[in-house]
Amino acid sequence: MPALKVTGLSAGYPRTGTVMSGIDLTIERGEVCGLIGPNGAGKSTLLKAVLGLDVEASGGIEICDRPVRDLGRMQRARLASYLPQSMGAASRLTVAETVLLGRHPYRSGWSRDSGRDEAVAEECLRETGIWHLRNREFGRLSGGEKRLVMLAASLAQEPGLLLLDEPGSSLDFRHQLDIWLLLRRLADRGIGILVSTHEIGISGRFLDTVLVIAGGGARAFGPPSEVFTGGILSEVYGVRLAVSRDRATGAWSILPEEGA
Amino acid sequence: MTGGSLARRPGAAFWLLLSVLTLAACAASLLVGPLDDPPAWVLLRLRLPRLALALLGGASLSVAGCVLQSILRNDLATPYTLGISAGAGLASGAIIVAGASIPVVGMVAAGTGGALLAVLAVFLLAGASRRSDTGATLLLAGVTINLMGASVLLLLEYFSDADRILEIVRWMMGDLAAVGWEKPLFLLPAAIAGTAVVLSRTGVLNQMAQGDDMAASRGVSVGRERNLLLAAAAVLAGATVGVTGPVGFVGLIVPHVMRRLRGGDYRTLVPASVLGGMLLVVSADILSRIVISPAELPIGVTMALLGGPFFLVLLIRGESGRD
Repeated sequence: MPALKVTGLSAGYPRTGTVMSGIDLTIERGEVCGLIGPNGAGKSTLLKAVLGLDVEASGGIEICDRPVRDLGRMQRARLASYLPQSMGAASRLTVAETVLLGRHPYRSGWSRDSGRDEAVAEECLRETGIWHLRNREFGRLSGGEKRLVMLAASLAQEPGLLLLDEPGSSLDFRHQLDIWLLLRRLADRGIGILVSTHEIGISGRFLDTVLVIAGGGARAFGPPSEVFTGGILSEVYGVRLAVSRDRATGAWSILPEEGA
Repeated sequence: MTGGSLARRPGAAFWLLLSVLTLAACAASLLVGPLDDPPAWVLLRLRLPRLALALLGGASLSVAGCVLQSILRNDLATPYTLGISAGAGLASGAIIVAGASIPVVGMVAAGTGGALLAVLAVFLLAGASRRSDTGATLLLAGVTINLMGASVLLLLEYFSDADRILEIVRWMMGDLAAVGWEKPLFLLPAAIAGTAVVLSRTGVLNQMAQGDDMAASRGVSVGRERNLLLAAAAVLAGATVGVTGPVGFVGLIVPHVMRRLRGGDYRTLVPASVLGGMLLVVSADILSRIVISPAELPIGVTMALLGGPFFLVLLIRGESGRD
């Protein structure tokens, strides 16, 4: 069952007009799809269109086989969750309290934490390896720790589809790798994942498919081995890029040839 | 996991202590000062209405402060950030300058109306803006309306007699004095309705504090909830300012202190701020009445002199040490 099926999607903003059009994309449950493209190509816009955030979108979007136009806000939030690019708001909440916020779509009225809320939050804290941080104040964590907490909060929504906007940006190698390993593990448990990223080299090993958007539309879609080529990437980013793959580790290395 | 819950929940001791302190302050407020005129008259027509006003005003300003701090995602936001004091001041000032002698309730209603009009103006301005960051736009529009309102008020004063100016200045200092029950009874429905709305939406406040996109992705109708909560905050703070004049610092300090004591979860923060606001304003009122007894200090001045340094100490200690 596809976690996400997008057909003929156009998306943009009321004041600036259409950012992209003609996007088709299917992500099965258990797949990690990378979303790459230059700055301003509309990666964040595409994610927001799927989530129904402040974006004007037309075309078909189905999350877990259900057309989004038939879904209420709360229903959609139980199927798809989101990790934005920001590090999360400054707050005096603890890590556990921040993760419990992800339970909002399952609540009504006075928003008490049910036993089920607590159980799911604990599972997500352990899954992301931050159980030991649970009583720390969120605002005092490092950038890498904050990302993991926000990711745990997204998981607490128990989504079938997880959308992430550059989850590795401004993190060190250790934390970047931890995030990618975690995403792979989550997918293997049956979640469909769409993740925008600039970390082409490190991400290649963990992606099942890649969608390249640039210049207002899709430029390529397929497994990394077909998409991560010097030809495609050089054209999309407007820089001559040398792409090679290490046979032993399967890792890509992508280096600009200009200025060398 | 063994027994305990993941979220911090203040124990019964916290609520008990806060309640006992508030009750003690109430008792002191009733008893401080001479009781020579017929004591029953002083208690029933002066002290009790005054106490009711302090309790309702303190709770209202603190709850409004919680709302503004969540929606603007700024711990320094206050109920007055949206132009409330300028609006109320301008309306009341205009009536004073015009020399119209209208009953207390009319005066209070005018102040409240002015406050609500100012919030409406701020809100429409922010809505018409092309900026995408609603919180920052509201903040900037509010600050601007506040400055413009204060300038127009100065202009009014410039063309007024000295005694009218004195009356306006006195109004701007805040006043909890009440003779009879008109003022507290005017504030009561606004305080109850506004607080009820906010208390029923503490989960939403938690989400809004995380950012508009985050809240929306978790199923919150961000636009609708923001309008509802801002309206509640405007009614709470607007009615209070209409009745008592602008009493500063309460809406800033109380949520801030409670956040330090009990964390940032609005499900705890809002009820704790209700009690904390009551305690602070009743205590400050007692102080106003005894410092230069038998005369009294304006409550707004006491609050600023008390709250300012206290807040600065908190800020400085917060930066250096861990709590």
